Amino acid sequence: MKATIRNRAVALALGITLGMCISATAQQASHLDVQQFRTYEVTRESFLLGTVVKFDSASSALPIGAHVILQTSSGQMDVHLGNAKVLQAGHLELNPGDNVRIVGEPLALGDSTYFAARIVQKGAQAVAVRNARGFPLTLAAAMTESQKEALRGVR
Amino acid sequence: MKRLFLTVLVAAALWSSACGGYSNSIVTPPPPVGKFSVADLKGQYAFVTNGESFTGGSSATPLTRTGSFTADGAGNITGGVEDVNAAGATNLAVQITGGSYTVNADGRGTLTLLLGQSSIDFGITLTSISDGLMIDETSTSAQSSTGSGNFIKQNSGSFTIASVAGPYVFDFSGLNATQGPESILGQFTANGGPITTGVEDANDNGALATAAAVSGSFAADGVNPGTLTGFGRGIAQLNGVQYVFYIVDATRVRLLSTSGGMLSGDAAAQSSNVPTSVSSINASFVFIVAGSSVNGGITRVGRFTANGATVTNVLADTDDGGRFIQTNSATTASISLDATNPGRGTFTFTDPNFASTPGTYVFYLSSATQGVIQETTLANNAVFDVADGSIVAQTGSPFSSSNIAGTYALNWSGLSLQSNGVFATQDEEDLVGQVIVSSLNLAGAADIFQFQNGVPVFDLVASGSISIAGDGTSSSGSSSRNTMSVRLTKSNSTTVNFAIYFVNPQLAFFTNNQDSNRIVAGILKAQQ
Repeated sequence: MKATIRNRAVALALGITLGMCISATAQQASHLDVQQFRTYEVTRESFLLGTVVKFDSASSALPIGAHVILQTSSGQMDVHLGNAKVLQAGHLELNPGDNVRIVGEPLALGDSTYFAARIVQKGAQAVAVRNARGFPLTLAAAMTESQKEALRGVR
Repeated sequence: MKRLFLTVLVAAALWSSACGGYSNSIVTPPPPVGKFSVADLKGQYAFVTNGESFTGGSSATPLTRTGSFTADGAGNITGGVEDVNAAGATNLAVQITGGSYTVNADGRGTLTLLLGQSSIDFGITLTSISDGLMIDETSTSAQSSTGSGNFIKQNSGSFTIASVAGPYVFDFSGLNATQGPESILGQFTANGGPITTGVEDANDNGALATAAAVSGSFAADGVNPGTLTGFGRGIAQLNGVQYVFYIVDATRVRLLSTSGGMLSGDAAAQSSNVPTSVSSINASFVFIVAGSSVNGGITRVGRFTANGATVTNVLADTDDGGRFIQTNSATTASISLDATNPGRGTFTFTDPNFASTPGTYVFYLSSATQGVIQETTLANNAVFDVADGSIVAQTGSPFSSSNIAGTYALNWSGLSLQSNGVFATQDEEDLVGQVIVSSLNLAGAADIFQFQNGVPVFDLVASGSISIAGDGTSSSGSSSRNTMSVRLTKSNSTTVNFAIYFVNPQLAFFTNNQDSNRIVAGILKAQQ
């Protein structure tokens, strides 16, 4: 039941976010002001619709972590997904050809830019990979109550 | 459990393959030399580690542990107790029923703590007979866990609530109740139980609370009252959050939250000589902070010179999500002290790389020469990161091959891209070792635990070098950046490069400054 509640909460958050961003369009990262986008601000969120070109759980691209190259109507976008284990824990696999919707916002990292994903949705399945402040989630944030309870056995 | 077996088996298979295929290329460290032995680890020690754990019932999750073990000076652990917080789930007052340890001549060794039918294992390096560095190296069928930390000899004569008295400066970091990053640092005055006054600055998942009041208390654990006299353990309340604490002595208490998330850190006695006016500050400082940014992990090490409110010679190195930033100067920089809260102050500088985003920090000094520091940098009214650490006066320069010499303990911790042969991802990396520094060349040994592998790797050969350009006070900051290169060799080798900042000839902070597949920071500490 609690897992269901959690999933509903994620779905609700996704719905609210998408509602807020319904008129938004995928932003071109190359147009960003470097200083303007150093921090994550949920009110600036938009979403990407696209097809997975390549998924890499440990990409050499910055920032460190999982990345997906997404083919959107505006071209290819590099999306940072945070810790690949969070996606794995959410049983969400990304394979070439998958159609996905990604909520997040463009961020600058030095002279380059990337799209920081907060929620990754494939079909009816959505997994949060960042919190609302933009910090990448750890696996702990994706745990069910029973999984948390099992941690009491950790020595 | 299945994943644990998988990772262990894969790692074992890889190791077996490596050993089988390249057995003649396995490199082992030379026999350790030095002055240490098992007799040097004797008495009660309060320990802490921060890292990750994996058990059969869960995925890898953040873990912090604090406890006390008793070593008999002959290789045996005779008792102790520990408290564990795994992402907010606690396991309290776990009895240490026995164990064993080794100490090589170089101060490196192993520590196994028996917890009834289970056990946890550590790699250790003594920095003196009173303290040392450690990493969690547990890799059993029931649990894998890693993390970096240290242990400090306890004074059982201080195992009373009355001993926790006077002003203390504290720094807690970890996760809040919803698993967001959190840092709290501040100052409180305890009076043998109640906390009478206090102030704190918090960065709770990007929400800043500035100079907020602190209230609370220290008391014996009503459930396990005997742990106070036996191990210096008790229960503290600070601003509504419950902590378990371990008294090292009257000058230091180690705390671990047991409600509201997963926070841990030390409270250190604040001396009466903390400067109360910025005009009395005339020193250089080295600082290190580490934590979370929107780009993932962040480490930042730097130094500056303060003369009154004027700050000059700012030099810093940052690894933000794998991107390296060199700060070679500051266009504006200043330091201030809080007249109403002794030891509390702020420090700001503008890095020309980020001209519209001044870097800001709050610190609390526990003495005139050291304290704790938290980054509070804002960009567009949003907090850039959640990161904290230490600030220490820089002394003993000029640094050279003549004073940077001898034996040093080495520890680093952070994230790296790893693969267990099946799945590649970013995961925790911890290393502990010992090196002899001679003519600025490094020679020693180390253990490393890259957690995705499920098993630690022991006794790597550690070599490398230090390049010293100055202490950061030259007119050209970039020309005074010091670097360190550490090469780790077993069946193959890897080199990790760092920017290193010497606090004094006995202590240095460092962060990696090349190869974007790693975000780690650490310390180099002379063995006494």
